[in-house]
Amino acid sequence: MVRNKVKTNDIHIINLAKLVSSPNAILYKEEDLLAYDCDGFTIERHLPRAVVFPKNTEEVSQIVKYCAENNLPFLARGAGTGLSGGAIPLNNEVIISLVRMKRLLEVDLENRRAVVEPGFVNLKLTNSISDKGYYYAPDPSSQYACTIGGNVAENAGGAHCLKYGVTTNHILGLEVVLPNGEIIEIGNGGIPDSPGYDLLGLLTGSEGTLGIVTKITVRILKNPEAKQTVLAYFDNIEDGSQAVSDIISSGIVPAALEMMDKTAIEGVEAAAFPVGHPKDIEAVLLIEVDGIAAGIEGQIEMILDVCRKWNVREVKAARDEAERGRWWANRKTGFGAMGAISPDYLVQDGVIPRSRLPEVLAKINHISKESGLRIANIFHAGDGNLHPLVLFDSRIPGETEKAIEAGSACLKVCADVGGSITGEHGVGIEKKEEMRFVFNDEEIIAQTNIRDVFNPDHLLNAGKLFPTPGRCAEVKRELSSKN
Amino acid sequence: MVTSELLTGLSSIILEEQIQGGSHSSPLLGNNGRITVFPKTEQEIADILQYANEKAMKINIIAGGTKRGFGGIEESADILLSLEQYKGVVEHSPGDMIVTVKSGTTYQELQDFLAEHKQKVPLDPALPKEATIGGVIAANDFGPKRLGYGSARDMVIGLRMVYPDGTIIRSGGKTVKNVAGYDMNKLFIGSMGTLGVISEITIKLRPLQQYESLILLSFPDGNLEDIHTFTISLLDSVMEPVALELLNPPLAEIVTGHRAFTLAISFEDVESSVRYQVDYVKQHKPSDASISILEQNDARSFWDNLAAVSPNGQQTVSEQTTKAALKVGVKNLDVVSVIKESQLLQDSHHLKAEAHGGLGTGLCKVYLTGTKDDVVSAITSLRSFAEHLGGYAVATHLPLALRQQIKVWGEKPSHFFLLDGIKAKVDSKRILNNGRFVGGI
Repeated sequence: MVRNKVKTNDIHIINLAKLVSSPNAILYKEEDLLAYDCDGFTIERHLPRAVVFPKNTEEVSQIVKYCAENNLPFLARGAGTGLSGGAIPLNNEVIISLVRMKRLLEVDLENRRAVVEPGFVNLKLTNSISDKGYYYAPDPSSQYACTIGGNVAENAGGAHCLKYGVTTNHILGLEVVLPNGEIIEIGNGGIPDSPGYDLLGLLTGSEGTLGIVTKITVRILKNPEAKQTVLAYFDNIEDGSQAVSDIISSGIVPAALEMMDKTAIEGVEAAAFPVGHPKDIEAVLLIEVDGIAAGIEGQIEMILDVCRKWNVREVKAARDEAERGRWWANRKTGFGAMGAISPDYLVQDGVIPRSRLPEVLAKINHISKESGLRIANIFHAGDGNLHPLVLFDSRIPGETEKAIEAGSACLKVCADVGGSITGEHGVGIEKKEEMRFVFNDEEIIAQTNIRDVFNPDHLLNAGKLFPTPGRCAEVKRELSSKN
Repeated sequence: MVTSELLTGLSSIILEEQIQGGSHSSPLLGNNGRITVFPKTEQEIADILQYANEKAMKINIIAGGTKRGFGGIEESADILLSLEQYKGVVEHSPGDMIVTVKSGTTYQELQDFLAEHKQKVPLDPALPKEATIGGVIAANDFGPKRLGYGSARDMVIGLRMVYPDGTIIRSGGKTVKNVAGYDMNKLFIGSMGTLGVISEITIKLRPLQQYESLILLSFPDGNLEDIHTFTISLLDSVMEPVALELLNPPLAEIVTGHRAFTLAISFEDVESSVRYQVDYVKQHKPSDASISILEQNDARSFWDNLAAVSPNGQQTVSEQTTKAALKVGVKNLDVVSVIKESQLLQDSHHLKAEAHGGLGTGLCKVYLTGTKDDVVSAITSLRSFAEHLGGYAVATHLPLALRQQIKVWGEKPSHFFLLDGIKAKVDSKRILNNGRFVGGI
């Protein structure tokens, strides 16, 4: 039975419709496609050719094979929460949406692993195993919506990756559909160090340009025995930054160490989850320590000592889980909260060596003054991952461009102190050109050479991640292909 | 090209005192060179590679020499590139908790330097005094504390690689989080020097533990069911062991003096937390297991002794007895079966088998000593046992003759064409550590 009847003259859509078996598994009308013209990066929009919803690996493979044989560009998409435009169909792609592949296939508590389909939502995994005392560590702020497949593509981070690492540290195995439709299994079902180059590590964070992940084995962790969360308010952002550095170098590895500046605080307090941060402070630190209960108190004491040394105005510990939850909701919805104080905002994602924090903040402040745009700073201070939020009004002609420029300037500052242009949001479309801030032509070619091994015809998610080759790079590529 | 021509060619790149004719190692392990060069700078490494690449000459890479018996099927390449003089800390930022180090630095030298700042690289590889950080990363070596701290792929955040054509390629950077471009670090870690020469490594550090204790639970009756059950309950508790390593009786005898299956459980944290966890184990251990507790320096000595058990490719090897080392990967709790199997091998194959494995990591190291034929047959048998469990066995140390006979890495994976495709793109003339990796890459 054909479940997907389509009325179109586009032969490819007619054929693709035959490859998906669940009801309503293909969208092709313009009004239906509009929802897929961008992801969490909304500045650039393009319509896909169609959106298909396969229900299993075999269907993904058939769709990919069809696209490859007919030279149709295609890309994979999860929940569409990505912030760098990785799922935007720049080339009128066929979008392979993985949201219907959303089963939790297996939980093996004894060996501490779980197997999920790519459309499985991040937070659902923790919710599914929390009654047994286990959780899945990577916790991007969008974890209530984003899918684990998307997390793998972007190598997503989160507030707790300071101690527990980012997605790549928790991926044990992948089933992948290659750009020619072939299905491969890497990581041997979760047994570490499979002989061969570490394709697991290479694919994680490859932004959907090397293959489409259809099954994921992840590591799950036991809940720590105890957690303690502290808020610390500073009158001076430099003091707050110094406190961050000193906490880390005192020998404590906090589970999370987050910071917000005055503008960011104004935003979160005006939005859905205010917690009553004083309006006149310059910086708040949200610090979480977890582990064996017997060791927690001493660590909190050390943190308080450091904060006092750096002139903290006030520190307080969460009284209970409910208060802790409110503090985290306040922080995790921080980006969206900017909507409460600005018509539009653009979020950036630079990373710096922690010790350069005060200097970098001063430079970002300077960019804000120069551009005339307010910049709020929310960051994973513990690992130096800054999220400058450039506030602007797209209705004012030229302001969007100005915001993009200011965002890029922030990344330049990060790159210039030995940092990187993205810590967890990915390059996507947004930061393609900024790749040149951190890599030279040879280094970019070294990466595109690897892409060509997997994706030689560039049909899968083309035009992402790498800058348009400069003249000099093109010449070199030609030379190297002659060798 | 004759050796004298090669000598002349190389002497235009580096000083003559940095070139040695031949190689002084025994031919038994192979991986030698007709000429050995000792570059002292990255530029010299790049020049040597570029020269060799132009002339399509083969290069073997070496530093401490501990892994000379790991992979490779040729007695000698044209050039042996030794990184033992390319050493030192390039940059250490204690506040950022990162260090950048040249690849020829020994693991112990790096650890001693960091200890002055109360920091460490949390890997505990074999033979730390001789093994260099570059070799450890290239071979992806690890130790029992991988359970608590992860492996090289979790802590290497940046590399400077010298590509076969002499180009310097940086991957990653100096920040603990970074998703700009592909995570090329992962490709180079564990690639056995087949994609480039590691020049500098930037590593994310950990604070030196404030306190450490090691519990040794020894099971004289050899009741593995007890070990299995106890392990499950410990892993399901909120305790946070950094190592949970099962030793077979012969290995336990070497490092503890008692010939019995022994579980080594390590805790590292603030003292109050460590004591609490030690008490937990004392209270919950199986009744017939005898317990001893080592603290601080005593615990460290135990782990040092365990790290010294591995065969060393640097030492002279005798023709009479054959030594082999295997890395076996299985599902975490199947480690119990592998350690038991390694014990059975002793009797069935008339050899010495020392083995340990991490019950929270799924990785075992097995050391075999015996006649050539017995060792070969034991490896084959243990490999098929691991494969039966869905795992693998890699021979991390073997004499050359046996490496030509046994597939060091096992059979090629089904996606081998991707691995080979990567090698072909990066090292099209296959000059670097040729044949040393999976499927003859």
